[in-house]
Amino acid sequence: MIQLHRVWKVYRVGPVRVTALADVSFSIEKGEFTVLAGPSGSGKTTLLRLLYRDDLPTEGEIQVAGYEVTSLRRSKIPQLRRAVGVVFQDAKLLPARSVYENVAFVLRVLGAPRREITPRVMQTLKAVGLSAKAQALPAQLSLGEQQRAALARALVKEPALLLADEPTGNLDEAISEEILDLLKEIWNRGTTILLATHRATLADQLKRRTIVLDGGRLLEDEP
Amino acid sequence: MSSLLPFLIGEAFRDLKRAGRVAVSAVLLITLSLAALGAFWVLSLNLGRAVAQWRDRLRVVVYLREEPPTGAVEGLLRKVEAVGGIQRLRYVSKAEALQTLRRQLGGQASVLEQLSANPLPSSVEVTPVSDASTPEGTRALIQRLSALVEVEEVQGGTEWVERLAQWQRLLQGIGLGVGAVLALAAILTVTTATTLVLHVRREEMEIMRLVGASEMVIRVPLFLQGLAQGLLGAAVAVGGLYLAYMLALPTVEPLLSLTLGLPRATFFSPTEMALLLSGGGLLGACGGLLAKGRSESGRQS
Repeated sequence: MIQLHRVWKVYRVGPVRVTALADVSFSIEKGEFTVLAGPSGSGKTTLLRLLYRDDLPTEGEIQVAGYEVTSLRRSKIPQLRRAVGVVFQDAKLLPARSVYENVAFVLRVLGAPRREITPRVMQTLKAVGLSAKAQALPAQLSLGEQQRAALARALVKEPALLLADEPTGNLDEAISEEILDLLKEIWNRGTTILLATHRATLADQLKRRTIVLDGGRLLEDEP
Repeated sequence: MSSLLPFLIGEAFRDLKRAGRVAVSAVLLITLSLAALGAFWVLSLNLGRAVAQWRDRLRVVVYLREEPPTGAVEGLLRKVEAVGGIQRLRYVSKAEALQTLRRQLGGQASVLEQLSANPLPSSVEVTPVSDASTPEGTRALIQRLSALVEVEEVQGGTEWVERLAQWQRLLQGIGLGVGAVLALAAILTVTTATTLVLHVRREEMEIMRLVGASEMVIRVPLFLQGLAQGLLGAAVAVGGLYLAYMLALPTVEPLLSLTLGLPRATFFSPTEMALLLSGGGLLGACGGLLAKGRSESGRQS
Protein backbone atom coordinates (compact mmCIF):
# COMPACT_ATOMS: atom_id res chain seq x y z
CA MET A 1 0.00 0.00 0.00
CA ILE A 2 2.85 2.41 0.92
CA GLN A 3 6.48 2.22 -0.16
CA LEU A 4 9.16 4.77 0.61
CA HIS A 5 12.64 4.39 -0.82
CA ARG A 6 15.45 6.61 0.48
CA VAL A 7 13.21 9.64 0.94
CA TRP A 8 14.72 12.98 1.86
CA LYS A 9 12.95 16.23 2.49
CA VAL A 10 15.07 19.32 2.94
CA TYR A 11 13.61 22.79 3.33
CA ARG A 12 15.68 25.83 2.45
CA VAL A 13 15.03 28.88 4.56
CA GLY A 14 17.30 31.51 3.02
CA PRO A 15 20.83 30.17 3.38
CA VAL A 16 19.74 27.64 6.05
CA ARG A 17 18.90 24.03 5.12
CA VAL A 18 16.50 22.23 7.43
CA THR A 19 16.35 18.45 7.03
CA ALA A 20 12.84 17.26 7.83
CA LEU A 21 13.34 13.69 6.58
CA ALA A 22 16.64 11.93 6.01
CA ASP A 23 16.96 8.75 4.01
CA VAL A 24 13.67 7.21 5.15
CA SER A 25 12.70 3.84 3.69
CA PHE A 26 9.90 1.48 4.71
CA SER A 27 6.86 -0.21 3.28
CA ILE A 28 3.37 -0.88 4.62
CA GLU A 29 1.25 -3.69 3.28
CA LYS A 30 -2.43 -3.50 2.45
CA GLY A 31 -4.59 -4.03 5.54
CA GLU A 32 -1.88 -3.09 8.07
CA PHE A 33 -2.46 -0.80 11.06
CA THR A 34 0.83 1.04 11.58
CA VAL A 35 1.75 3.66 14.12
CA LEU A 36 4.17 6.41 13.08
CA ALA A 37 5.62 7.63 16.35
CA GLY A 38 8.07 10.32 17.29
CA PRO A 39 8.35 13.57 19.20
CA SER A 40 7.08 16.86 17.81
CA GLY A 41 9.29 18.01 14.92
CA SER A 42 10.47 14.48 14.12
CA GLY A 43 9.05 14.64 10.59
CA LYS A 44 5.77 12.71 11.00
CA THR A 45 3.53 15.39 9.50
CA THR A 46 6.02 16.06 6.68
CA LEU A 47 6.01 12.36 5.84
CA LEU A 48 2.19 12.20 5.79
CA ARG A 49 2.06 15.28 3.54
CA LEU A 50 4.36 13.56 1.08
CA LEU A 51 2.07 10.52 1.06
CA TYR A 52 -1.00 12.46 -0.06
CA ARG A 53 1.12 14.62 -2.39
CA ASP A 54 0.68 17.87 -0.53
CA ASP A 55 4.43 18.24 -0.93
CA LEU A 56 7.22 16.59 -2.92
CA PRO A 57 10.32 14.91 -1.47
CA THR A 58 13.69 16.44 -2.22
CA GLU A 59 14.99 12.97 -3.09
CA GLY A 60 13.71 9.41 -3.11
CA GLU A 61 10.68 7.52 -4.36
CA ILE A 62 7.23 7.09 -2.89
CA GLN A 63 4.42 4.78 -3.95
CA VAL A 64 0.94 5.02 -2.43
CA ALA A 65 -2.07 2.88 -3.35
CA GLY A 66 -0.49 2.02 -6.68
CA TYR A 67 0.41 5.62 -7.56
CA GLU A 68 4.00 6.70 -8.18
CA VAL A 69 3.63 9.82 -6.03
CA THR A 70 6.96 11.48 -6.84
CA SER A 71 6.36 11.50 -10.59
CA LEU A 72 2.58 11.90 -10.42
CA ARG A 73 1.24 14.47 -12.88
CA ARG A 74 -0.65 17.35 -11.30
CA SER A 75 -3.86 16.33 -13.07
CA LYS A 76 -3.64 12.88 -11.45
CA ILE A 77 -3.31 14.17 -7.86
CA PRO A 78 -7.13 14.09 -7.30
CA GLN A 79 -7.14 10.38 -8.20
CA LEU A 80 -4.50 9.63 -5.57
CA ARG A 81 -6.38 11.67 -2.97
CA ARG A 82 -9.61 9.81 -3.66
CA ALA A 83 -7.83 6.63 -2.58
CA VAL A 84 -6.50 8.25 0.61
CA GLY A 85 -8.50 9.58 3.57
CA VAL A 86 -6.81 12.13 5.84
CA VAL A 87 -7.70 13.30 9.35
CA PHE A 88 -5.82 15.93 11.31
CA GLN A 89 -5.38 16.95 14.92
CA ASP A 90 -7.92 19.72 14.42
CA ALA A 91 -10.97 18.34 12.72
CA LYS A 92 -11.03 21.04 9.97
CA LEU A 93 -14.81 20.86 9.66
CA LEU A 94 -16.61 23.56 7.69
CA PRO A 95 -18.18 25.65 10.48
CA ALA A 96 -21.24 26.86 8.57
CA ARG A 97 -22.31 23.38 7.45
CA SER A 98 -23.96 20.69 9.56
CA VAL A 99 -22.25 17.37 10.28
CA TYR A 100 -24.36 15.79 7.53
CA GLU A 101 -23.40 18.54 5.07
CA ASN A 102 -19.71 18.27 5.96
CA VAL A 103 -19.73 14.58 5.12
CA ALA A 104 -22.05 14.87 2.11
CA PHE A 105 -19.85 17.69 0.74
CA VAL A 106 -17.16 15.11 -0.09
CA LEU A 107 -19.54 12.96 -2.12
CA ARG A 108 -20.96 16.01 -3.87
CA VAL A 109 -17.58 17.36 -4.98
CA LEU A 110 -16.64 13.88 -6.19
CA GLY A 111 -19.81 13.73 -8.29
CA ALA A 112 -21.53 10.84 -6.51
CA PRO A 113 -25.09 10.17 -7.77
CA ARG A 114 -27.63 12.15 -5.75
CA ARG A 115 -29.65 9.13 -4.63
CA GLU A 116 -26.52 7.54 -3.12
CA ILE A 117 -25.49 10.51 -1.00
CA THR A 118 -27.94 10.34 1.91
CA PRO A 119 -27.70 6.55 2.47
CA ARG A 120 -23.90 6.63 2.32
CA VAL A 121 -23.59 9.64 4.62
CA MET A 122 -26.02 8.20 7.18
CA GLN A 123 -24.31 4.82 7.06
CA THR A 124 -20.92 6.44 7.71
CA LEU A 125 -22.28 8.65 10.49
CA LYS A 126 -23.79 5.53 12.08
CA ALA A 127 -20.41 3.78 11.86
CA VAL A 128 -18.74 6.61 13.79
CA GLY A 129 -21.67 6.93 16.23
CA LEU A 130 -22.87 10.34 15.09
CA SER A 131 -26.26 9.57 13.49
CA ALA A 132 -28.07 11.55 16.18
CA LYS A 133 -25.92 14.63 15.58
CA ALA A 134 -26.30 14.72 11.80
CA GLN A 135 -27.98 18.12 11.79
CA ALA A 136 -25.74 19.71 14.42
CA LEU A 137 -23.21 22.37 13.50
CA PRO A 138 -19.55 21.63 14.35
CA ALA A 139 -19.61 24.26 17.11
CA GLN A 140 -22.39 22.31 18.84
CA LEU A 141 -20.21 19.16 19.06
CA SER A 142 -17.65 18.11 21.66
CA LEU A 143 -14.02 17.79 20.50
CA GLY A 144 -14.37 14.00 20.38
CA GLU A 145 -17.53 14.28 18.29
CA GLN A 146 -15.81 16.74 15.96
CA GLN A 147 -13.01 14.23 15.43
CA ARG A 148 -15.59 11.50 14.72
CA ALA A 149 -17.21 13.78 12.14
CA ALA A 150 -13.78 14.35 10.56
CA LEU A 151 -13.29 10.58 10.44
CA ALA A 152 -16.71 10.16 8.82
CA ARG A 153 -15.72 12.75 6.21
CA ALA A 154 -12.49 10.89 5.47
CA LEU A 155 -14.23 7.51 5.31
CA VAL A 156 -17.37 8.30 3.34
CA LYS A 157 -15.52 7.99 0.02
CA GLU A 158 -14.31 4.52 1.15
CA PRO A 159 -10.56 5.09 0.88
CA ALA A 160 -8.13 2.19 0.75
CA LEU A 161 -5.76 4.06 3.08
CA LEU A 162 -6.45 6.30 6.08
CA LEU A 163 -3.75 8.74 7.23
CA ALA A 164 -4.42 10.05 10.73
CA ASP A 165 -2.17 12.90 11.86
CA GLU A 166 -2.39 13.13 15.67
CA PRO A 167 -6.17 12.60 15.67
CA THR A 168 -6.19 12.38 19.48
CA GLY A 169 -3.80 15.30 20.02
CA ASN A 170 -6.50 17.64 21.33
CA LEU A 171 -8.49 15.02 23.27
CA ASP A 172 -8.40 13.75 26.83
CA GLU A 173 -7.54 10.12 27.49
CA ALA A 174 -11.06 8.72 27.66
CA ILE A 175 -12.12 10.33 24.40
CA SER A 176 -8.77 9.40 22.80
CA GLU A 177 -9.53 5.78 23.59
CA GLU A 178 -12.92 6.06 21.94
CA ILE A 179 -11.27 7.41 18.80
CA LEU A 180 -8.65 4.66 18.86
CA ASP A 181 -11.39 2.03 19.22
CA LEU A 182 -13.11 3.57 16.25
CA LEU A 183 -9.89 3.45 14.21
CA LYS A 184 -9.54 -0.25 15.11
CA GLU A 185 -13.11 -0.88 13.91
CA ILE A 186 -12.31 0.91 10.63
CA TRP A 187 -9.14 -1.18 10.29
CA ASN A 188 -11.14 -4.37 11.00
CA ARG A 189 -13.31 -3.52 8.01
CA GLY A 190 -10.20 -3.66 5.77
CA THR A 191 -8.88 -0.08 5.60
CA THR A 192 -5.10 0.32 5.84
CA ILE A 193 -4.28 2.83 8.58
CA LEU A 194 -1.19 4.91 9.26
CA LEU A 195 -1.56 6.75 12.57
CA ALA A 196 0.94 9.46 13.46
CA THR A 197 1.33 10.25 17.16
CA HIS A 198 3.84 11.84 19.49
CA ARG A 199 2.45 9.86 22.44
CA ALA A 200 4.74 6.89 23.08
CA THR A 201 2.16 5.38 25.46
CA LEU A 202 -0.43 5.32 22.70
CA ALA A 203 1.88 3.31 20.44
CA ASP A 204 2.48 0.81 23.28
CA GLN A 205 -1.21 0.61 24.04
CA LEU A 206 -2.15 -0.23 20.43
CA LYS A 207 0.38 -3.08 20.16
CA ARG A 208 0.77 -2.57 16.44
CA ARG A 209 3.75 -2.18 14.15
CA THR A 210 5.44 1.07 15.16
CA ILE A 211 7.78 3.14 12.98
CA VAL A 212 9.68 5.65 15.07
CA LEU A 213 11.06 8.84 13.59
CA ASP A 214 13.47 11.17 15.35
CA GLY A 215 15.06 14.22 13.83
CA GLY A 216 13.76 13.13 10.43
CA ARG A 217 15.53 9.74 10.60
CA LEU A 218 13.89 6.35 10.94
CA LEU A 219 14.94 5.21 14.40
CA GLU A 220 13.00 1.96 14.81
CA ASP A 221 10.60 -0.19 12.85
CA GLU A 222 9.08 -2.65 15.30
CA PRO A 223 6.64 -5.23 13.95
CA MET B 1 -21.17 15.49 -14.64
CA SER B 2 -24.99 15.39 -14.49
CA SER B 3 -24.87 14.92 -10.71
CA LEU B 4 -22.14 17.56 -10.36
CA LEU B 5 -23.91 20.32 -12.28
CA PRO B 6 -26.59 21.13 -9.65
CA PHE B 7 -23.84 21.13 -7.00
CA LEU B 8 -21.63 23.48 -9.04
CA ILE B 9 -24.53 25.87 -9.74
CA GLY B 10 -25.57 25.72 -6.07
CA GLU B 11 -22.01 26.56 -4.98
CA ALA B 12 -21.85 29.45 -7.46
CA PHE B 13 -25.01 31.03 -6.02
CA ARG B 14 -23.84 30.36 -2.47
CA ASP B 15 -20.63 32.24 -3.40
CA LEU B 16 -22.64 35.12 -4.84
CA LYS B 17 -24.51 35.46 -1.55
CA ARG B 18 -21.21 35.39 0.30
CA ALA B 19 -19.75 38.18 -1.86
CA GLY B 20 -22.75 40.33 -0.83
CA ARG B 21 -22.28 44.03 -1.49
CA VAL B 22 -19.16 43.58 -3.58
CA ALA B 23 -21.10 41.29 -5.93
CA VAL B 24 -23.90 43.89 -6.08
CA SER B 25 -21.30 46.58 -6.95
CA ALA B 26 -19.91 44.34 -9.67
CA VAL B 27 -23.38 43.84 -11.15
CA LEU B 28 -24.00 47.62 -10.99
CA LEU B 29 -20.72 48.39 -12.73
CA ILE B 30 -21.46 45.88 -15.47
CA THR B 31 -24.91 47.48 -15.81
CA LEU B 32 -23.35 50.95 -16.06
CA SER B 33 -20.69 49.97 -18.58
CA LEU B 34 -23.12 48.14 -20.83
CA ALA B 35 -25.78 50.84 -20.45
CA ALA B 36 -23.23 53.50 -21.51
CA LEU B 37 -22.07 51.38 -24.41
CA GLY B 38 -25.67 50.51 -25.31
CA ALA B 39 -26.87 54.14 -25.16
CA PHE B 40 -24.16 55.29 -27.56
CA TRP B 41 -24.85 52.26 -29.70
CA VAL B 42 -28.58 53.08 -30.00
CA LEU B 43 -27.76 56.71 -30.88
CA SER B 44 -25.20 55.58 -33.42
CA LEU B 45 -27.64 53.07 -34.92
CA ASN B 46 -30.26 55.76 -35.49
CA LEU B 47 -27.73 58.24 -36.82
CA GLY B 48 -26.45 55.53 -39.14
CA ARG B 49 -29.95 55.01 -40.47
CA ALA B 50 -30.30 58.75 -41.05
CA VAL B 51 -26.99 58.85 -42.94
CA ALA B 52 -28.00 55.89 -45.11
CA GLN B 53 -31.39 57.45 -45.78
CA TRP B 54 -29.90 60.83 -46.72
CA ARG B 55 -27.30 59.23 -48.94
CA ASP B 56 -30.14 57.48 -50.70
CA ARG B 57 -32.11 60.70 -51.09
CA LEU B 58 -29.17 62.74 -52.38
CA ARG B 59 -30.02 64.96 -55.36
CA VAL B 60 -27.86 67.21 -57.54
CA VAL B 61 -29.75 70.08 -59.21
CA VAL B 62 -28.44 71.29 -62.56
CA TYR B 63 -29.75 74.82 -63.33
CA LEU B 64 -29.90 75.62 -67.05
CA ARG B 65 -28.87 78.92 -68.71
CA GLU B 66 -31.99 78.91 -70.87
CA GLU B 67 -35.16 76.89 -71.01
CA PRO B 68 -34.78 74.46 -73.92
CA PRO B 69 -37.54 74.28 -76.53
CA THR B 70 -39.96 71.35 -75.92
CA GLY B 71 -38.44 69.26 -78.70
CA ALA B 72 -34.89 69.70 -77.35
CA VAL B 73 -35.53 68.42 -73.80
CA GLU B 74 -34.97 64.76 -74.70
CA GLY B 75 -31.65 65.56 -76.38
CA LEU B 76 -30.53 67.67 -73.41
CA LEU B 77 -31.37 64.88 -70.93
CA ARG B 78 -29.35 62.37 -73.03
CA LYS B 79 -26.41 64.81 -73.04
CA VAL B 80 -26.60 65.20 -69.23
CA GLU B 81 -26.88 61.43 -68.71
CA ALA B 82 -23.81 60.91 -70.89
CA VAL B 83 -21.52 62.52 -68.25
CA GLY B 84 -21.86 59.21 -66.29
CA GLY B 85 -22.49 58.29 -62.64
CA ILE B 86 -26.21 59.07 -62.91
CA GLN B 87 -28.96 56.74 -61.72
CA ARG B 88 -32.03 58.83 -62.57
CA LEU B 89 -32.73 62.29 -63.92
CA ARG B 90 -35.82 64.46 -64.36
CA TYR B 91 -36.38 67.70 -66.23
CA VAL B 92 -38.12 70.51 -64.29
CA SER B 93 -39.45 73.29 -66.48
CA LYS B 94 -39.69 76.96 -65.38
CA ALA B 95 -43.48 76.58 -65.06
CA GLU B 96 -43.20 73.42 -62.92
CA ALA B 97 -40.63 75.13 -60.69
CA LEU B 98 -42.99 78.06 -60.16
CA GLN B 99 -45.87 75.71 -59.42
CA THR B 100 -43.79 73.89 -56.83
CA LEU B 101 -42.83 77.18 -55.20
CA ARG B 102 -46.48 78.24 -55.16
CA ARG B 103 -47.37 74.97 -53.40
CA GLN B 104 -44.59 75.47 -50.86
CA LEU B 105 -45.67 79.04 -50.10
CA GLY B 106 -49.25 77.94 -49.48
CA GLY B 107 -51.23 80.94 -48.11
CA GLN B 108 -48.43 83.36 -49.06
CA ALA B 109 -48.53 82.28 -52.72
CA SER B 110 -50.29 85.51 -53.72
CA VAL B 111 -46.93 87.34 -53.59
CA LEU B 112 -46.05 85.54 -56.80
CA GLU B 113 -48.85 87.44 -58.58
CA GLN B 114 -46.70 90.55 -58.26
CA LEU B 115 -44.05 89.06 -60.56
CA SER B 116 -44.10 90.27 -64.15
CA ALA B 117 -42.25 87.16 -65.41
CA ASN B 118 -41.26 83.74 -64.07
CA PRO B 119 -37.75 84.33 -62.63
CA LEU B 120 -37.09 80.66 -61.83
CA PRO B 121 -34.68 78.76 -64.07
CA SER B 122 -35.47 75.41 -65.61
CA SER B 123 -33.40 72.56 -64.19
CA VAL B 124 -32.52 68.86 -64.27
CA GLU B 125 -32.74 66.89 -61.00
CA VAL B 126 -30.02 64.27 -60.97
CA THR B 127 -29.86 61.22 -58.63
CA PRO B 128 -26.28 59.88 -58.59
CA VAL B 129 -25.56 56.15 -58.64
CA SER B 130 -24.73 54.84 -55.15
CA ASP B 131 -20.96 54.74 -55.91
CA ALA B 132 -21.04 58.47 -56.65
CA SER B 133 -22.83 59.28 -53.34
CA THR B 134 -19.54 59.86 -51.56
CA PRO B 135 -18.21 63.46 -51.26
CA GLU B 136 -15.47 62.73 -53.82
CA GLY B 137 -17.90 61.03 -56.22
CA THR B 138 -20.39 63.88 -55.99
CA ARG B 139 -17.68 66.53 -56.45
CA ALA B 140 -16.47 64.78 -59.63
CA LEU B 141 -20.05 64.52 -60.95
CA ILE B 142 -20.68 68.23 -60.26
CA GLN B 143 -17.46 69.09 -62.09
CA ARG B 144 -18.51 67.09 -65.15
CA LEU B 145 -22.00 68.59 -65.15
CA SER B 146 -20.64 72.18 -64.77
CA ALA B 147 -18.57 71.68 -67.91
CA LEU B 148 -21.71 71.41 -70.07
CA VAL B 149 -22.38 74.65 -72.01
CA GLU B 150 -26.14 74.58 -71.26
CA VAL B 151 -25.46 74.61 -67.51
CA GLU B 152 -25.56 77.82 -65.46
CA GLU B 153 -24.93 76.35 -62.00
CA VAL B 154 -24.89 72.98 -60.22
CA GLN B 155 -26.01 72.63 -56.59
CA GLY B 156 -25.79 69.64 -54.31
CA GLY B 157 -23.26 67.69 -52.29
CA THR B 158 -22.82 65.19 -49.54
CA GLU B 159 -20.62 67.21 -47.19
CA TRP B 160 -23.27 67.61 -44.53
CA VAL B 161 -24.28 63.96 -44.80
CA GLU B 162 -20.63 63.07 -44.32
CA ARG B 163 -20.47 65.37 -41.33
CA LEU B 164 -23.42 63.41 -39.93
CA ALA B 165 -21.53 60.20 -40.61
CA GLN B 166 -18.52 61.64 -38.78
CA TRP B 167 -20.75 62.37 -35.79
CA GLN B 168 -21.96 58.80 -35.95
CA ARG B 169 -18.37 57.50 -35.91
CA LEU B 170 -17.53 59.88 -33.05
CA LEU B 171 -20.49 58.57 -31.05
CA GLN B 172 -19.37 55.00 -31.72
CA GLY B 173 -15.85 55.89 -30.55
CA ILE B 174 -17.05 57.63 -27.38
CA GLY B 175 -19.39 54.70 -26.66
CA LEU B 176 -16.61 52.19 -27.08
CA GLY B 177 -14.19 54.31 -25.00
CA VAL B 178 -16.57 54.91 -22.09
CA GLY B 179 -17.82 51.31 -22.31
CA ALA B 180 -14.25 49.95 -22.29
CA VAL B 181 -13.21 51.99 -19.23
CA LEU B 182 -16.34 50.95 -17.33
CA ALA B 183 -15.95 47.36 -18.54
CA LEU B 184 -12.41 47.29 -17.14
CA ALA B 185 -13.70 48.60 -13.83
CA ALA B 186 -16.46 45.96 -13.94
CA ILE B 187 -13.95 43.15 -14.55
CA LEU B 188 -11.84 44.36 -11.63
CA THR B 189 -14.89 44.51 -9.37
CA VAL B 190 -15.98 40.99 -10.33
CA THR B 191 -12.38 39.90 -9.68
CA THR B 192 -12.49 41.55 -6.25
CA ALA B 193 -15.86 39.95 -5.47
CA THR B 194 -14.55 36.55 -6.51
CA THR B 195 -11.28 37.00 -4.59
CA LEU B 196 -13.32 37.84 -1.52
CA VAL B 197 -15.32 34.68 -2.02
CA LEU B 198 -12.11 32.71 -2.47
CA HIS B 199 -10.85 34.06 0.83
CA VAL B 200 -14.06 32.94 2.54
CA ARG B 201 -13.97 29.63 0.68
CA ARG B 202 -10.31 28.89 1.44
CA GLU B 203 -11.15 26.17 3.97
CA GLU B 204 -13.66 24.58 1.62
CA MET B 205 -11.18 24.59 -1.24
CA GLU B 206 -8.56 22.96 0.98
CA ILE B 207 -11.04 20.23 1.87
CA MET B 208 -12.05 19.85 -1.77
CA ARG B 209 -8.43 19.36 -2.80
CA LEU B 210 -7.76 17.05 0.12
CA VAL B 211 -10.59 14.67 -0.73
CA GLY B 212 -9.66 14.54 -4.41
CA ALA B 213 -11.95 17.03 -6.15
CA SER B 214 -10.76 17.86 -9.65
CA GLU B 215 -9.61 21.41 -10.41
CA MET B 216 -12.62 21.74 -12.71
CA VAL B 217 -14.99 21.25 -9.75
CA ILE B 218 -13.07 23.89 -7.80
CA ARG B 219 -12.94 26.41 -10.64
CA VAL B 220 -16.33 26.10 -12.32
CA PRO B 221 -18.32 27.79 -9.48
CA LEU B 222 -15.99 30.83 -9.76
CA PHE B 223 -16.60 31.00 -13.49
CA LEU B 224 -20.35 30.53 -13.01
CA GLN B 225 -20.68 33.23 -10.36
CA GLY B 226 -18.81 35.72 -12.59
CA LEU B 227 -21.00 34.72 -15.52
CA ALA B 228 -24.16 35.16 -13.42
CA GLN B 229 -23.05 38.65 -12.31
CA GLY B 230 -22.29 39.58 -15.91
CA LEU B 231 -25.57 38.28 -17.31
CA LEU B 232 -27.57 39.93 -14.55
CA GLY B 233 -25.77 43.27 -15.11
CA ALA B 234 -26.34 43.05 -18.86
CA ALA B 235 -30.02 42.15 -18.45
CA VAL B 236 -30.56 45.15 -16.15
CA ALA B 237 -28.69 47.37 -18.65
CA VAL B 238 -30.81 46.22 -21.61
CA GLY B 239 -34.01 46.55 -19.53
CA GLY B 240 -33.00 50.04 -18.35
CA LEU B 241 -32.14 51.16 -21.87
CA TYR B 242 -35.45 49.89 -23.19
CA LEU B 243 -37.31 51.73 -20.44
CA ALA B 244 -35.38 54.93 -21.20
CA TYR B 245 -36.09 54.45 -24.93
CA MET B 246 -39.83 54.05 -24.33
CA LEU B 247 -39.93 57.08 -22.03
CA ALA B 248 -37.93 59.29 -24.41
CA LEU B 249 -39.73 58.15 -27.55
CA PRO B 250 -42.64 60.68 -27.50
CA THR B 251 -40.18 63.60 -27.19
CA VAL B 252 -37.32 62.34 -29.32
CA GLU B 253 -39.22 60.93 -32.27
CA PRO B 254 -40.72 64.23 -33.57
CA LEU B 255 -37.30 65.84 -33.09
CA LEU B 256 -35.62 63.12 -35.15
CA SER B 257 -38.25 63.45 -37.81
CA LEU B 258 -37.80 67.23 -37.97
CA THR B 259 -33.98 67.33 -37.93
CA LEU B 260 -32.87 64.09 -39.54
CA GLY B 261 -35.98 63.09 -41.40
CA LEU B 262 -36.18 59.76 -39.57
CA PRO B 263 -39.82 58.66 -39.30
CA ARG B 264 -39.14 56.64 -36.11
CA ALA B 265 -36.35 55.86 -33.67
CA THR B 266 -35.36 52.22 -33.40
CA PHE B 267 -34.10 50.09 -30.48
CA PHE B 268 -31.79 47.08 -30.61
CA SER B 269 -32.71 44.05 -32.68
CA PRO B 270 -32.91 40.69 -30.80
CA THR B 271 -29.44 39.83 -32.16
CA GLU B 272 -27.98 43.08 -30.86
CA MET B 273 -29.60 42.49 -27.46
CA ALA B 274 -28.14 38.97 -27.41
CA LEU B 275 -24.73 40.51 -28.21
CA LEU B 276 -25.00 42.90 -25.24
CA LEU B 277 -26.04 40.04 -22.93
CA SER B 278 -23.15 37.91 -24.16
CA GLY B 279 -20.82 40.87 -23.61
CA GLY B 280 -22.00 41.09 -20.01
CA GLY B 281 -21.57 37.36 -19.49
CA LEU B 282 -18.07 37.56 -20.95
CA LEU B 283 -17.10 40.48 -18.68
CA GLY B 284 -18.31 38.60 -15.59
CA ALA B 285 -16.71 35.32 -16.56
CA CYS B 286 -13.39 37.12 -17.22
CA GLY B 287 -13.55 38.62 -13.74
CA GLY B 288 -14.27 35.22 -12.18
CA LEU B 289 -11.46 33.52 -14.06
CA LEU B 290 -8.95 36.29 -13.30
CA ALA B 291 -9.65 35.92 -9.58
CA LYS B 292 -9.05 32.21 -9.91
CA GLY B 293 -5.71 32.90 -11.59
CA ARG B 294 -4.67 35.18 -8.74
CA SER B 295 -5.70 32.67 -6.09
CA GLU B 296 -4.18 29.68 -7.80
CA SER B 297 -0.63 31.00 -8.12
CA GLY B 298 1.56 28.91 -5.89
CA ARG B 299 -1.17 26.47 -4.95
CA GLN B 300 -0.92 22.72 -5.02
CA SER B 301 2.82 21.92 -4.94
